[in-house]
Amino acid sequence: MSASATDTAGRSSGGIWIRPALIAAIVIAVFVWINAVELDSIEQRLLATDAIVSAVVRHIQLVVISTVTVVALAVPAGIALTRRNLLSRALGPPILAIANAGQAVPSLGILVLIAVLFRALGFWPTIFALVLYAFLPILRNTIVGIEQVDESVIESAVGMGMTKRGVLRKIELPLAVPVVLAGIRTALVINVGTATVATLVNSGGLGDIVYGGIVQSRSTVLWAGALLVAALALAIDFLGGLAEDKLRPKGI
Amino acid sequence: MAAFWNYLSSNFDTLAEHAWGHFYVVALGLTLSSIIGISLGMLSYRNPTARAASLNTSAIILTIPSLALFAIMLTLPPPIGGLGARPVIAGLALYGLLPIVRNTIVGLNEVDQAIVESALGMGMGRRERLFRIEAPLAWPVIVTGIRVSGLLMVAIATIGSIVNGPGFGQMLLSALARIGSATATPQALVGTLGVIVFGICLDGLFRLLVHYTTPRGIRG
Repeated sequence: MSASATDTAGRSSGGIWIRPALIAAIVIAVFVWINAVELDSIEQRLLATDAIVSAVVRHIQLVVISTVTVVALAVPAGIALTRRNLLSRALGPPILAIANAGQAVPSLGILVLIAVLFRALGFWPTIFALVLYAFLPILRNTIVGIEQVDESVIESAVGMGMTKRGVLRKIELPLAVPVVLAGIRTALVINVGTATVATLVNSGGLGDIVYGGIVQSRSTVLWAGALLVAALALAIDFLGGLAEDKLRPKGI
Repeated sequence: MAAFWNYLSSNFDTLAEHAWGHFYVVALGLTLSSIIGISLGMLSYRNPTARAASLNTSAIILTIPSLALFAIMLTLPPPIGGLGARPVIAGLALYGLLPIVRNTIVGLNEVDQAIVESALGMGMGRRERLFRIEAPLAWPVIVTGIRVSGLLMVAIATIGSIVNGPGFGQMLLSALARIGSATATPQALVGTLGVIVFGICLDGLFRLLVHYTTPRGIRG
């Protein structure tokens, strides 16, 4: 286990400045490149600075709104399912089993199902699909995070006279924070990817540029869009990692 | 619900064709990913710098949105790029590296040092130790990595249809193109469920494989 404990995460190891440098290099290279090459009218339209900036803003809106919503729904639901009462005992195991199987659900399937079921395309149907898609992973991480808290720690807290609510707030939640945060970070990265695919249901965002490049057979556009969305995903993952380190309770 | 069964029974041939296409890209992608991932893991597990480099690279690939990765593969020269299944297989092979590389490295490093030392004492060379002692003992962990990566590919292969790859994703795209028509919803539902059922079958197969290919002495 010696080596694996530190670098199995893969993401947090290595020089901390390597990723921001990589992200900056990608973005600068894209802008230098599209300004240096001769663009035809289609390429000019797809790669206009305004179009790129509004696509980035739209993409960030999609990811942030959906992630905040899903965290606000799934974390309380996960906490409720770990309380020791009849309802959570009945619902907990099947929901956890569904959440595990939920990994096999294709994101494109959820996007298309919502579009054809409600005959709705655009920003809000996409947000709905993103929330639905990221719900199970965050729910699962919350449940797993709380349940991995050592039983004897809880017992000593009860022995010290803490109430159920006190145990939850002072013991279980702080100890579950790392696992829950890891789930949220994963959901962020998943949402950046799914929001890209959502260009097919008219969500807007950087997927428009990638897909525009594919449809119009303009590889310059395709590469610029793909590199920018990759840079955005790496940036969001990096910020998620920083937040994970900062928010983790000291001593864990 | 009636529309669903109707759709299913009258489109069974197309469903079978898409199931085969999905299987084809996942099977080839997973084979390539396993060969590359296990080799990378075996080459890097002893050296901390090489280990960090191979883990970080595969983690970065997994962070890239899959549509962007498939699109880039599409523009590469012929052995990888071009229309059809090839760019999807190449994209999947890259996408699935992290679980395989990580589990190979963890599995090989978890092998009891006392066992490795006794192999050394028996006069085994480095290569013999790796292939006759460490790799068989790490095998259950490595196959688990391949299973996780396979499940990931089943879901991601759907997106490959956007760059013309075969599989259930074609049904979803066709449903979206006919939004508002009566068959759009059953088609989208059948396509989505197809992917889920495929994923569950693959998962079950791999659990059996892990059990039956684990050396009898270390079977849990």
